[in-house]
Amino acid sequence: MTDSTAPFIRLTGISKSFPGVRALDDVSLDIRAGEVHSLTGENGSGKSTLAKIVNGTHQPDAGTVEIDGVPTVITKPSTALALGIVSISQELTLAPTLSVAENIFIGRMPRTRWGTVDWDRCVREAQAILDDLRVHVNPRTAVRDLSLELQQEIEIARAISTNARLLILDEATSSLSEAATDRLLEIVEEQRDRGVGVLMISHRMPELYRSCSVASVLRDGRLMGTVPLPQTPEDALVRLMVGRDLDDYFGSRDVTPEAVALKVTDLHTLDGALLPTSFEVRRGEILGVAGLVGSGKAELGMALGGAIPSAGTIEVGGREAAITNPRQAVDSGIGYVPDDRKGQAILPNRSVAENFALAWRGTLSRLGVLRVREEATLVRDGMRRYGVVAANENVRISTLSGGNQQKVVLGRTFARGCTVFVLSEPTRGIDVGSKSQVYALLQEQVAAGAAVVLISSELPEILGLADRVLVFHRGGVHAEFDAEGLDEETVAAVAVSGRPQTAAA
Amino acid sequence: MTLLDSDPTLSAETPPADAAPARRRPRLSLGRFTGVVVALLAVCVYLALTQPVFLSWGNITNIVASNSVILLLALGATFVIIGGGFDLSSASALSATGMVLGLALQAGMPAWVAIASPILAGLVIGLVQGVLISYVKISMIVVTLGFMSILASFALIVNKGATISVYGAPGFDPVYQFVNGTVGPVPVLMIFDAVVLLAAAFVLRYTAFGRSLFAMGSNPEAARLNGINTAMMVLFVFLIAGLAAGLAGLVSVGRLTGAAAASDPTLLMTAIAAVLIGGTAFTGGEGGVLGTMIGVLFLGVIQNGMTLSEIPAFWQGTVNGAILILAVGIGVLRDRGIRLRRRAITTRVG
Repeated sequence: MTDSTAPFIRLTGISKSFPGVRALDDVSLDIRAGEVHSLTGENGSGKSTLAKIVNGTHQPDAGTVEIDGVPTVITKPSTALALGIVSISQELTLAPTLSVAENIFIGRMPRTRWGTVDWDRCVREAQAILDDLRVHVNPRTAVRDLSLELQQEIEIARAISTNARLLILDEATSSLSEAATDRLLEIVEEQRDRGVGVLMISHRMPELYRSCSVASVLRDGRLMGTVPLPQTPEDALVRLMVGRDLDDYFGSRDVTPEAVALKVTDLHTLDGALLPTSFEVRRGEILGVAGLVGSGKAELGMALGGAIPSAGTIEVGGREAAITNPRQAVDSGIGYVPDDRKGQAILPNRSVAENFALAWRGTLSRLGVLRVREEATLVRDGMRRYGVVAANENVRISTLSGGNQQKVVLGRTFARGCTVFVLSEPTRGIDVGSKSQVYALLQEQVAAGAAVVLISSELPEILGLADRVLVFHRGGVHAEFDAEGLDEETVAAVAVSGRPQTAAA
Repeated sequence: MTLLDSDPTLSAETPPADAAPARRRPRLSLGRFTGVVVALLAVCVYLALTQPVFLSWGNITNIVASNSVILLLALGATFVIIGGGFDLSSASALSATGMVLGLALQAGMPAWVAIASPILAGLVIGLVQGVLISYVKISMIVVTLGFMSILASFALIVNKGATISVYGAPGFDPVYQFVNGTVGPVPVLMIFDAVVLLAAAFVLRYTAFGRSLFAMGSNPEAARLNGINTAMMVLFVFLIAGLAAGLAGLVSVGRLTGAAAASDPTLLMTAIAAVLIGGTAFTGGEGGVLGTMIGVLFLGVIQNGMTLSEIPAFWQGTVNGAILILAVGIGVLRDRGIRLRRRAITTRVG
């Protein structure tokens, strides 16, 4: 390729080690102004480390960084900011109690000539930035009153208002619905057209193919190649990422659904987030649940897991289960995995073993005294069985990758011996390799006779795994499909509009 | 692993995320306590050299006896803090339960009724606070702040602000024997402290309750979704804190041979400082009672040393505060230091 523009930032031979792991090994990369450059690879491949070197959080052990052709040492995040390098990650960094305008100008509030905060200008300028991005919120609203998606847009508004020259999106879309992702990508493309360079870290294929012109693939800290998009086919890109073919990505099972394991009749929440919903799931069957964020699909999971109060009847294995709290869900044989791993599933400062042992809470004890040896054996067996990779079972779970944390969470739920599993976004924020392992575990459980309700925002996953698909829209089920031969457009049409596509019929 | 061993997740220093499992570092046997223990030993050596009386058995038993009240309060606070909460009322609860004992003795009640009374009072205090927090759902800071004030006031009200002297009261002898008696050379109180400490360590480490407590402190929502009844847990935690305050009240009256109406505001701070010096995280979900014991001993030895060295007691607060900041700060620096050191090693090898 002959390059018409000189790169905004050029990384040459970047290496970086952390205790016991070589995170980056001789990585070289150019990012040009007006280009969306994708950085992709499995979790733990070094993507985030590279992003953090660019934004000044980490220092490389070796290698050079040039900005506009000038060798530069970015020693700290504020240096990067001054150079116009702004990162946005999935972790929001907004101050929830402050207003939108205050958040946009945090740390650099406009001043009057007396040195006090110029509130009028603050709100006026915030409004201008929001208008420019077509984000329709009142700049005086407190950020905590906004939806997660709007908050993400505020985060971007702040980034852009600093006259960014390089925007780093570190998995910024991973917690967004498709509609919100769409909006975000629109904004990104607009910034690109204005000459901003973008480094986009993502493993969502549709996003890469939509917005990026180049993809650099990392594996185990090494650069496997930089390829043009969208010319490079998806399977070639995946092969670069994982180093092997993913023939059997979603796996398969050979089982005919038998008796009804879960029967739900008129289940609803009192706040109207979930309208009366009825369905059945058989043993050996996966029921996919699709829908946008706020469509009620997450609430369905929470209601089945006892996390939120609900009304209606739930029958597990033919027996009616009164589920008013999580404990009753556990006791009646429903294994629920919530969508927010960090906030609702893991005990961050406890060991892998203790996290896993939540599976047997209460049952693996005699007169309240834990059967420690038995537990230790079961934990080690479980870690092996569910493929948890950790130095040992006593390390804190927060030191594990997202994929391994999720395997602990799923493993402990499976180990409970439930017949019904309600899994909400089971592969959110985990890499391709871990996803494939999670799918295999899931298939194994179903083959063994479990019934699974798979709630997911990722349509490929639903279509690849489920036997039937329910599509939620505004709190209720608007369509039910047989997964055989179903395509994404058909499901997406119902999810967005509540009605099946007319043209496709 | 011994019973009193430190919390495994505190001392497990292992490489992050998916690193080669082969490099498993040998564990420092004292884990996070190393700094505090070394400092404690250093102070002891210094005192042993400068104050010959320091190492005498009499002085040692004196340190233990004079810090038993703090130890009991700190053990209660350890449970509360591990569970992700805090209790501002414990020192006031100590005064209130002490006054209850004082009144019982003054009224000439038999010894066993008198001894049971502060414990029962402590449990009632814990029960009411637990119910208000867990089931009426008033915030913990409001409830315990409110009780701090109410119980301190209660202690003043019941005897019109005067100390109740129980010396010579018919039921007092067993209390006195319990607090000041000895078995051979060993004070009964020292044995009692050890038993309570072991029991607390056992509960935290080997019971379903202890495990659930750590889980709740680490992530209450995850604990709840996995079937732990967090409301009940909070109630139990406050029962434990109340029980600890009741026992502390008993010991306090025995030592002073009277129930003091005015509560000592430094007790609460000292107890919490001891818990934090002992490595229990204020954010919940990690820590243990062995650390708390070390924290109490550390503050106790320093105080003893200052008394022996005839340093004015006014300095006590300054010294305690500085030690708290140093101990927690060194823990932070130590974690960071380990990371730096390991980075140096891998850079050389890689």
